[in-house]
Amino acid sequence: MRFKKLYIFIVILSLNVSSLWAQSNNDVKTKDTTTWNKFIPDYVKLQYAGGIGFLSAGVGYTFFKQHLDVSLFYGYVPKWFTVDDLHSISLQFTAKLFRIKASKNVEILPLNIGWYIHHTFGSKFWVKLPDNYPDGYYWWSPGLNAGVFIGGEIKTKLLANKTPASGLAFYVRAGSRDLYLASKAGNKSIPLTDIIELGFGVALYR
Amino acid sequence: MKNIIKILFLVSVVLFTSCTDAFDYSSYVIDFNEINCGVNNKNLQKLKTKSTSDTIKIAFTGDSHRFYDELESFVSKVNEVNQIVDFDFVVHVGDIADFGLPKQYLWGNSYLLNLDIPYFVLLGNHDMVGNGGQAYQKMFGDYNFSFIYGDVKFVFLNSNSREFQFNGKVPDINWLDNQLKPDDDFRYAVVIFHVPPTDADFDANLTESFHETLDKYNNVLFCVHGHLHHFETYKPFSDSITYINVYGTEYRKFNTITIYNGEYNVSEYAF
Repeated sequence: MRFKKLYIFIVILSLNVSSLWAQSNNDVKTKDTTTWNKFIPDYVKLQYAGGIGFLSAGVGYTFFKQHLDVSLFYGYVPKWFTVDDLHSISLQFTAKLFRIKASKNVEILPLNIGWYIHHTFGSKFWVKLPDNYPDGYYWWSPGLNAGVFIGGEIKTKLLANKTPASGLAFYVRAGSRDLYLASKAGNKSIPLTDIIELGFGVALYR
Repeated sequence: MKNIIKILFLVSVVLFTSCTDAFDYSSYVIDFNEINCGVNNKNLQKLKTKSTSDTIKIAFTGDSHRFYDELESFVSKVNEVNQIVDFDFVVHVGDIADFGLPKQYLWGNSYLLNLDIPYFVLLGNHDMVGNGGQAYQKMFGDYNFSFIYGDVKFVFLNSNSREFQFNGKVPDINWLDNQLKPDDDFRYAVVIFHVPPTDADFDANLTESFHETLDKYNNVLFCVHGHLHHFETYKPFSDSITYINVYGTEYRKFNTITIYNGEYNVSEYAF
């Protein structure tokens, strides 16, 4: 069942990537006139760690002249790293506050800040308190969490010449989530590094 | 361009090697190193090497939830008092992981690992949220367990009925009955659980058989539980066995129970 979800996601993702390819292979000057083209994601991302999976694949759009990214990730943690493998999705909002043109081909985004919500699949990770509990028995839900992060990004023109993509970007991020922050609150004895979710990834832009 | 890639590569290598732990894959990853696995059993082996006297002294805490600083103080106080009192072991009566997060298990155990004496951690309802039940099994072991020390059998019973949808199997009355069945190896029994039978989180359909089983062999000295955080010694029924609700860590107090020849007394320390 879980693998089915993952499989469907990969299919959708690869369809998007291939349509991105196909679209760009056409005359670039052609305006995106069809409705379908409007829905082609502006980028695909592959992220390592960051609290949302061992590896997470994401697609998304940019808004406000590339100052806001909204991405949907599917994250996976293989059994090898834990007891049962974990499947999850997360929705991330990243505000890209500054943009520095380092050279003709390189742009540096030194301060990105973001917020995300993260859902882990599986009945253990409920979102709505199950019926066997009275209202408010547990105030949080294991299946739906939120977090914040800050990070940076370097956008390059790598792959731009050889492929239809406009460029490849590398990003890093450091964040934390609600349940970690709540655990750390009032506890000097918990090291700050214990509640940090580090991650990095690559983004391929259309 | 090449320089940038080189810099990126170097930065990644530095990040990777300096703080691999911070590369969090999920808050539900259960990835415990050797010292954080099979903890109850390891402590039992340690306890077996201790020479038993006719007096058994136990320090209790529980419901530590997110009171990590308090748990740390508890551990140093127990180690300090132990210099004089010489405790046999420590019991945590459950709820070591407030959100059931594997990380909270690691935090909780990181303090307990500093105890100079063996310790045992019981399953609490909070410990089971999410995949916390699996984390418990990995870190501490079975939900129900027991051991004999001196002439007393200590029975640790999972009484978190609500977490098992009141399925009629928690607490496991048959298992309890088997544990209490008289044997040449022990004279008395002490039963320790997280949720008391007077609480709504305990399966009401099992309350009667639970009490009957405790009374059945006339060998249970007393019961110890947590869940309600405060300290209280009481009898749920006028003719029942004495229950001792031990202090939660947040009170910055802990109870000790001394057992001698079928008699016991309860005291407390502040930390």
